[in-house]
Amino acid sequence: MNRDKKLSADQIASTVWSTTLLLDELGLFTLEIFQKSREEVIVRQQREIAELSTPVVKLWDGVLALPLIGTLDSQRTQVVMENLLQTIVESEAEIAIIDITGVPTVDTLTAQHLLKTVAAARLMGADCLISGIRPQIAQTMVHLGVELNVVSKATLADAFQLALQRTGRVVTRVKKQPGAEKPKVAGPQEG
Amino acid sequence: MDRIPILKFGNALLVTIQVDMHDRLATALEEDLTSKIVAHGAKGVLIDISALEIVDSFIGRMLANIASVSRLLDADTVVVGMRPEVAITLVELGLGLPGVKTALNAERGLALIGGVQGKQAADDADDD
Repeated sequence: MNRDKKLSADQIASTVWSTTLLLDELGLFTLEIFQKSREEVIVRQQREIAELSTPVVKLWDGVLALPLIGTLDSQRTQVVMENLLQTIVESEAEIAIIDITGVPTVDTLTAQHLLKTVAAARLMGADCLISGIRPQIAQTMVHLGVELNVVSKATLADAFQLALQRTGRVVTRVKKQPGAEKPKVAGPQEG
Repeated sequence: MDRIPILKFGNALLVTIQVDMHDRLATALEEDLTSKIVAHGAKGVLIDISALEIVDSFIGRMLANIASVSRLLDADTVVVGMRPEVAITLVELGLGLPGVKTALNAERGLALIGGVQGKQAADDADDD
C-alpha cells in the first residue's frame, strides 16, 4: 500500500468495518429475495398440483373415474371428495372408480381418507370401486392391518368392465375386418 | 307443531323432507313413520332429503334409527337425493349409515325398492 496519503489505523479500521457491514447487508438482502422467490414458486406449484391432480373423468354414461396421482393428504382428499360428489350429482353417475395407480404410498391415514370418500359416495347413492393397488402397497396395507371394505380390482380396465357389467352392458368384439379391428360396446338400453 | 307428511305409494311409504329438521320434528317423524309402516304393512320406505341442507349428528342418528326400526318391521329404507355437502358432513361425523340403502334420486330409489320387492316376489313364487 504505497500511497501518498497515509491513513491512520483508526480510519482503516472504521472503513473496513463499514465495508463489512455493507457486504453483510447485501448478502442478507440477496438471500431474502432468493428465499422469497423460491417460496412463491413452491406455493404456485402446490396450487397448480392441487388443481391438476384431481380430475374426475367420465368413462361412460353413469360411470366416473377418479385417477389419483401423488400423496393424499387431508387437504387434497377434501378437494377430491368435493369434486367427485359434485360430479356424481351433475352426471347422475351410478358407479365411481377410484384409481390409485399414481399414489406412491398408502398408509393408515390415506386409507382412512379413501374410505371416507367411498362412504360419502355411497351416501349419495353411487357405488365405489378401487383399482390399481400396487403389489407393494397391498403388502404394506395388510401389514398395517388396513382393511378397505370395498370392491377392489387390479387395473382400471377390470374395474371398468365390472362397472359396465353392473350397469347392464357388455363389451363385444365386432367381426374381424381387414384393417379395422375395434372392440364395440353395446348395451340393451343406451342413453 | 307441524309434521312431515308421509305418503303411501303402492306398498311403499314416501317421506319428503322439505323443511329444516329440528329435533322435535325428527322424533315426531320417527314415531309417525313407525306407526304408518305397521298400519299400511309397507315393504319400503323412501326418504327424500334433497332439500335438506343442514344435518347434525341427531338427524344422522335419526336416519339410522328409522332404518333399523323399519328393518325390524320388514321394510327397506332408501335415502335418496343426499347433497354432497351433507354426505361429507355425515362421513366426518362418523355416520356412514351402514344399514341404509341410498340412491341418487327418487326415481332410482323407487326402482331399488321395486327391484327388491320384485325379487322377493320372485323368491316367494319359487318357494311355492
